Amino acid sequence: MRILLIEDEVDLLTSLARALREEGYAVDAAADGEEGLYKSTEVAYDAIVLDVMLPLLDGWKVLERLRESRRTPVLMLTARDAAQDRVRGLDAGADDYLVKPFDLEELFARLRAIIRRAAGQTVNVIEVGGVAIDTAARRVKLDGHSVELTAREYCLLEFLAMHRGETVTRTALYEHLFDEDEDSLSNLLDVHVSNLRKKLGHGLIETRRGHGYCIG
Amino acid sequence: MKFFHSIRWRLQLWHGLLLALVLAGFGFTAWQLQRANQMNRTDHELEQRMGLVEASLLPRNGAGPGSPPPPDKPRWTAREQNLFAGMPGQEFYYVIWQRDGRQGDASASAPSEIPQPERIPGPPVFRSRGNFRESFHDTPGGECVLVGRDIGEEIAGSRRTAWLLGGSGGAVFLLGLAGGWWIAARALSPIAGITATAAKISTGDLSQRIRPADSKSELGQLARDLNNTFSRLDDAFARQAQFTADASHELRTPVTVILTQTQSALARERPADEYRESLAACQRAARRMRGMIESLLVLARFDSCEAPEAMELCDLARIVTDSVALLKPLAEAKDVHISVEVAPACCEGNAGQLAQAVGNIVGNAIHYNRPGGSVRVEVRREADGAILTVADSGQGIPPDDLPHVFERFYRAEKARSAGQEHSGLGLSITKAIVEKHGGSIEVASEPGMGTTFIVRLRAAVRLAGQTPMGAP
Repeated sequence: MRILLIEDEVDLLTSLARALREEGYAVDAAADGEEGLYKSTEVAYDAIVLDVMLPLLDGWKVLERLRESRRTPVLMLTARDAAQDRVRGLDAGADDYLVKPFDLEELFARLRAIIRRAAGQTVNVIEVGGVAIDTAARRVKLDGHSVELTAREYCLLEFLAMHRGETVTRTALYEHLFDEDEDSLSNLLDVHVSNLRKKLGHGLIETRRGHGYCIG
Repeated sequence: MKFFHSIRWRLQLWHGLLLALVLAGFGFTAWQLQRANQMNRTDHELEQRMGLVEASLLPRNGAGPGSPPPPDKPRWTAREQNLFAGMPGQEFYYVIWQRDGRQGDASASAPSEIPQPERIPGPPVFRSRGNFRESFHDTPGGECVLVGRDIGEEIAGSRRTAWLLGGSGGAVFLLGLAGGWWIAARALSPIAGITATAAKISTGDLSQRIRPADSKSELGQLARDLNNTFSRLDDAFARQAQFTADASHELRTPVTVILTQTQSALARERPADEYRESLAACQRAARRMRGMIESLLVLARFDSCEAPEAMELCDLARIVTDSVALLKPLAEAKDVHISVEVAPACCEGNAGQLAQAVGNIVGNAIHYNRPGGSVRVEVRREADGAILTVADSGQGIPPDDLPHVFERFYRAEKARSAGQEHSGLGLSITKAIVEKHGGSIEVASEPGMGTTFIVRLRAAVRLAGQTPMGAP
């Protein structure tokens, strides 16, 4: 899952980015509204964390312009807790609203929720055949037994499972699993897929030649 | 009893009492006067007739000594006899008692059984006996003559007058009460409005105002004064609420930094340099909060007190020179040149606060300047005060932001991105200080060219005669 973080407070931006990366997300950062808007329209993020008070272009305007082209789930961060501000944010097309100061756990939970909703899922556990993926605990079980996955493997599995039944192109996978700073080699993806097949059985992930991968 | 405490009822009570006293006094006096008049008239008539009767008892003119003793019956002419006639039942009468006490002659109209009066020498004596008014006198001849009249009609008339006076007095009293009630109601009606408004305000709706009916009356004045009080309360509450909201808003971001930094740092074991980074970020956030809290306290003090604590005569030029000297290192670090041109300008104020205000303006001019830029600081003296001009060659303030620069926590977008260490309170504090000193502050800016702040302070008037602070 790839997330865009738009926040002008440098210390907050760095700590949030670190925490989100440690949660297994690919994180891009933007320090002002214009950069944030540019990135959010260029890349298909799985979610955007958007601060309201931003230089150059405030959060409301970023959201407004983003919604002209994309339906990316947006979680707004704000220091204003008046009800009318929350209403304004949700009405402007935000998917959720978090008032500063917040706990990281709550931010993570809300992010999971908006990503899940955007993918059409309603619960945290996705079951595919004998494989159960708990997106909240980031754990995978095969026929009731825990399976140890690396962070990257888990992300790949989760993304494919979220888009169950769809063929996910390699480009899409690169876009959603790696952030702008990562310089990954193209064959890494095949390595992760092959490792997943070894751990969870060969029938789980199908390869659609020339298109991408799919979980049925 | 509730209505004894009501001003309207008490007014009515006193008004009624006074009215009743005045009416009763006037009525009684009028009645007494009228009665006394009538009595005087009657007595006068009696006196006339007494004279007549007495004269008739005297020996006739021309009668010499030895003439027959005076007759015991008056002899008078028909005209004189007419004087004893009158309305039936109201005729005058007379009775004569002989020297030996026997009743002598009496007029036909005399009532029976008139008690013989006591013989009192001297002028005629008057007495009232039931419905009769009588006068009696001892003649020099030794007879006692009594003249009287039935005054029943007059007594009845007087009683009628008393009733009439009482009745009309009562009517006037009721009319007066009604009028008083109406006037009291009219006079007190604005109070009901004031009470209703005050009650609404006491429940928390501070936007309510009293609508004064007549602004020149005492109650109008009261309403105006109360409205002013309410306005100031309302403003104070609104300012307080805005201030609290802004302050909490501004404190939320550094708190968020501390929370996320610590939570993320504590989530797992980390290398020492990562902990150091987190701690440094927390320190920055805490310092920012400290700066903000200090500024907030300064502003809160300004909000709560009316005048600066210690007013003295001070030289603005000296204050500016000192402030600029303190900021020289910052200017050098930012590669900004400061030129100072000051003329002695006395003004009345608190030197410490004025120095803070000047420091804020000059500090901003340096902070938001470009490398190699300049700041021109000038103090001039004018007829009505001192003028401080601070012009910088910085980035300028966008026209949209210009009207808001003195608002608390307002930071233009460029200013926000230029640095986080500024709380957005500096210019608010400056403005508060200048205004507490009875001065004014203006700003003009052209984006890309620079910004000019102009502060006008009143010339020292009140404390004239003292030696200015810092003057030789």
